[in-house]
Amino acid sequence: MPGYMRMPVITLQLMPGDLVLVDAPNSALAAWFADLCCGLVPLAGGAVRFLGRDWESMPHHYAAALRGRIGRVFATGAWIESLDVATNILLPQLHHTRREAAALREKAAQLARSFGLPGLPMERPANVPPEDCARAACVRAFLGEPALLVLESPLQERRSELLLPLLNAVAAARNEGAAAIWLADSDPVWGDRSFPATSRFRLSDQGLAPVRRSA
Amino acid sequence: MSEMPEGAAVLTAAEPRGRIRRTLWRLGQATRECFSFLLMLASLSFGVARDAVRPATWRRTVRFEFRRALHQAIAGGLSATLVTAILIGLAMVSQALYWLGVAGQRDLLGSILVTVLVRELAPLLVGLILLGRSGMVMISEIGALQIGGQVRSLEAQGLDPFQLLLLPRVCALATASFTLGVIFVLTALVTGYIAGSLLGAVQVSLLSFLNRVLLAMSAADFVVVPGKMVSIGFLVALTASLTGFAAKPRDDVTRLLPIGFTRGVVTILLTSIVLSLAV
Repeated sequence: MPGYMRMPVITLQLMPGDLVLVDAPNSALAAWFADLCCGLVPLAGGAVRFLGRDWESMPHHYAAALRGRIGRVFATGAWIESLDVATNILLPQLHHTRREAAALREKAAQLARSFGLPGLPMERPANVPPEDCARAACVRAFLGEPALLVLESPLQERRSELLLPLLNAVAAARNEGAAAIWLADSDPVWGDRSFPATSRFRLSDQGLAPVRRSA
Repeated sequence: MSEMPEGAAVLTAAEPRGRIRRTLWRLGQATRECFSFLLMLASLSFGVARDAVRPATWRRTVRFEFRRALHQAIAGGLSATLVTAILIGLAMVSQALYWLGVAGQRDLLGSILVTVLVRELAPLLVGLILLGRSGMVMISEIGALQIGGQVRSLEAQGLDPFQLLLLPRVCALATASFTLGVIFVLTALVTGYIAGSLLGAVQVSLLSFLNRVLLAMSAADFVVVPGKMVSIGFLVALTASLTGFAAKPRDDVTRLLPIGFTRGVVTILLTSIVLSLAV
């Protein structure tokens, strides 16, 4: 957490197939935590490891390649306005892999349909409705068989339409061996007892505290 | 982070113990702040020069950005370059042809055109055109990405902003600067020749005229002129990109543009002077 003396204490370990639900009402803190998972935050102590490797001791290009294995939904959208949404979606995979662009486009279009889009949006992000941008953000996160999913408030205001396809996609990714962190920002998901989380935490200034929920 | 968590305290870097160390620390900090832009420019120049020759750098996304930036720089700057070159050809080359003919000093024509037009004016004017047509676009593009937090998001996806945004633009502008510089010189010479012919100041063919200019170039000119053009394009892109990357979250792109323009003009002039003095 740059600029602040006291850093929240975070102790978390994810195994393949885990789905961790984190209640993070403070969106800035949630973004900081997501950055921490991606190895972008200088630590006051301890270590953050991904696939067994410590982010801080990794060479820069190696860390960048490993970040390509993380699928992330950004709460802010994180769209590059000068590119169309389709290129925004494909960009990380085009950069990190040698897979054919046509094959990636086909896979992305399949994912887009599964999230309720008619296909890959070819317009600039500013011209795409917010609900379609939220779906496109999920397509970008799930494209390329990620080993870790970091979902920052992925539903936002569109719980009913997006929850089921998103849960299906998360379940499919977990079956493939991915772990997932779902950051719920005052989200009804947090109160949903049927949500298939393997563990639940609450994120505050003090750190990450486990929360037990009775069945 | 935009919000400060409750109970968090502002971090202050601890000063080192001991009077000498503390004095050196303060001196170094002030010096670094003053020269941080120059230091960044030097380190990024080195980084671009090192990475640009590594094949692994040129992934398809980087190549795509390079093509986009090159197209933007050349297509965007071509008309301005042609118009400026025609004006210089009419105003300078034809006048040089005419007045040197009147003074009976036609033998000096080649060396004067090489010294003034090819070595000094062409790189300078092309640099200014590139700064206006492409450098300003870079500042606003990269500045908007930095202010909007997309640069951070790119990093989170493993997309190195240096590799994806800076390096292809710098290489594209260096290439565009050389290309536009050659176009500028040829257009100015041909326009000047045509205007001189219409004034009756030229008695030789176009090829003889161009040959005379070429023969007036020394071996050093064949190194310095392309070097100047490439360096100016390189540094224009670097200063523009760096200005964009230096944007703070509360900055406005309109504030960055005049800063980037001033830096660009100073960089162009300094590069031109330094390389001219090196000959």
